[in-house]
Amino acid sequence: MRGGISRGDEQIPAGVLPSRACSRITDCLAGDPKGFRVTTAASARRGPGTESPPEPELVRIRDVIYHAAGIFHPDNKLSLLQDRCGRRMKALRVATLREYSECLTGRANRQAELIALLNEITIGETSFFRNQPQLDALRRVVIPNIIQAKSHLPIRRLRIWSAGCSTGEEPYTLRMLLREEESGQLKNWCAEILATDINQRSLVHAQHGVYGTHSTRNLTPAYRSKYFHSQGDNLQVNAITRAHVTFSRLNLSDNSGMTFMKSMDVIFCCNVLIYFDLVSKRRVIQHFFNNLLPHGYLFLGHAESLYGVNDDFRLVHLPGATAYVKGERTFTGGKWQ
Amino acid sequence: MIAATGTKQALLQRLEGLRQIPTIPAVLAPLLRYLQQPVEQLDVQRVTELISQDKSLAAQCLQMANSPLFGRWQNVQSVRGAVVSLGFHHVSDIAMSCGVLNLLPSDTSSLDPVVFWEHSLGCALVCRHLASKIDFADPGKAYLAGLLHDLGIIVNLWVLPKEFRAAWETGKTEGIPLHEAEQKSMGFTHCDSGRLLAERWELGPDLIEVVSYHHSPEKSAEHGGLAALVQLADLLCRMRGLHYGYVEQRQVNLMEQSGFSLLAQHSTTLKDLDWARITFELDSYMEEVHSLVRAIYRT
Repeated sequence: MRGGISRGDEQIPAGVLPSRACSRITDCLAGDPKGFRVTTAASARRGPGTESPPEPELVRIRDVIYHAAGIFHPDNKLSLLQDRCGRRMKALRVATLREYSECLTGRANRQAELIALLNEITIGETSFFRNQPQLDALRRVVIPNIIQAKSHLPIRRLRIWSAGCSTGEEPYTLRMLLREEESGQLKNWCAEILATDINQRSLVHAQHGVYGTHSTRNLTPAYRSKYFHSQGDNLQVNAITRAHVTFSRLNLSDNSGMTFMKSMDVIFCCNVLIYFDLVSKRRVIQHFFNNLLPHGYLFLGHAESLYGVNDDFRLVHLPGATAYVKGERTFTGGKWQ
Repeated sequence: MIAATGTKQALLQRLEGLRQIPTIPAVLAPLLRYLQQPVEQLDVQRVTELISQDKSLAAQCLQMANSPLFGRWQNVQSVRGAVVSLGFHHVSDIAMSCGVLNLLPSDTSSLDPVVFWEHSLGCALVCRHLASKIDFADPGKAYLAGLLHDLGIIVNLWVLPKEFRAAWETGKTEGIPLHEAEQKSMGFTHCDSGRLLAERWELGPDLIEVVSYHHSPEKSAEHGGLAALVQLADLLCRMRGLHYGYVEQRQVNLMEQSGFSLLAQHSTTLKDLDWARITFELDSYMEEVHSLVRAIYRT
């Protein structure tokens, strides 16, 4: 047998495929007209006859959004994008995706339409524990790395900035996560969260801390009772959740305000930059770069990218999430130096 | 647990002598051999015949041929139809994928064979995708390389199930890469055991190097580019949910991998690739891979 390809007389046991599946497939091959079509799970999920390649217009809109806002819809999320476009098409009384695509690319008011569509795309995005893989990566990989990077320092302080915190779900989520680590890896650490937004009304809401069923849908019963108290049908954050969270108004385009945000370990800026044009986005990202400590991390929203915006930050892969870190090295001669 | 020095040699000898190392199913052996010929000499009709000899293989092939993962959105109803509409290389890729599936033990107490196959299939698809993005010299090989890179795990599952289980448990508990866990617990990795099988199967020098060096492409003698492509695709899959059944708790910078520098020598576009977008594109692969594998394996 050695030195040659086996002819299969020593084959491993059969039975990898369950017999029921085998016989069904064999029936198909034998020519049963009804059973002939081999249905993939994916096509079954979409329903018979609905399997089709992505619409070219939708792919075009996907690319427009990615280039303008850095937010990407993979093929399996295109139906969601189509749904959001549909809402705008209804409002504009536009019948086809082709016409709508022209509203985003051709007409004079395309910028306004892009923002309107982005609003639809990010609607309902604010909720507690919105991006679990990102939070898991923070807890299991990023925080241990930061602790190690700061192990030689006498002061054990962790600073996390929620930039564009909207109505407060993100900073309070971070607070709950850090609080859970206080008896473990963050024992004897002072962990503070700075939360900023440009919108005064959002900040008032955040400080009030009352949330309805939609944004609290991911909260487990244990978290509800530990970090909230009921207020009618709503939940209000309690004193434990409020502790170490500071809200303040900040415009990310305000250069002097941005320079005050010093010594950050982690910055979260989710679905905020998508509204900025390239020049402003570059400026904000450069500020973030300066605001972060050398080991610092920048997290963006799910499927949000810095491609073409900034070359200083480097993309890293964490389990199920991506983040950006400060790069100390340059690419020369086909290698990182 | 085996930790003593010299154990690696002993175990490799044991592998050499064992007769239950999986063999390539009868249908696939000629197909694999056939693939090694220059493209000009390949005959589509012959491939159709080779695949159609085994009904179960043919059925699995059809199921895969109808998946969007292979760019197919209408019904392919026969192997011949698949060969005609998808082209020779895609059909060969599909047949090989089903072949690997049929090599796996049906039940193990450690790494679930379904999960393993998902990883292999995902890695093959990502290799193909990456190869097309960077104008890789041999895109046809990329899929096969991704599919077969972990042959050594199949060997370990069959031949050293207990030892491999301990290694896998170590990886899972510590959240470290499987090859590091194997090294720690067995003294050698699936790259070593895979090499034995790849050589026995006469996979060809390029695939033998991929199997041996996909975690250290810089050690590859002739085919570092292919091994490097697999290294990056493998990492992307593992960090994005197509792993070995446990989450590796670590941070990966693709550009710091030895494979990245190696590939950059061959491709001027590599450095400017939008890796974030490639990562997000993978998410739709993941979903399709999961549903395809469920459809074929657990119907």
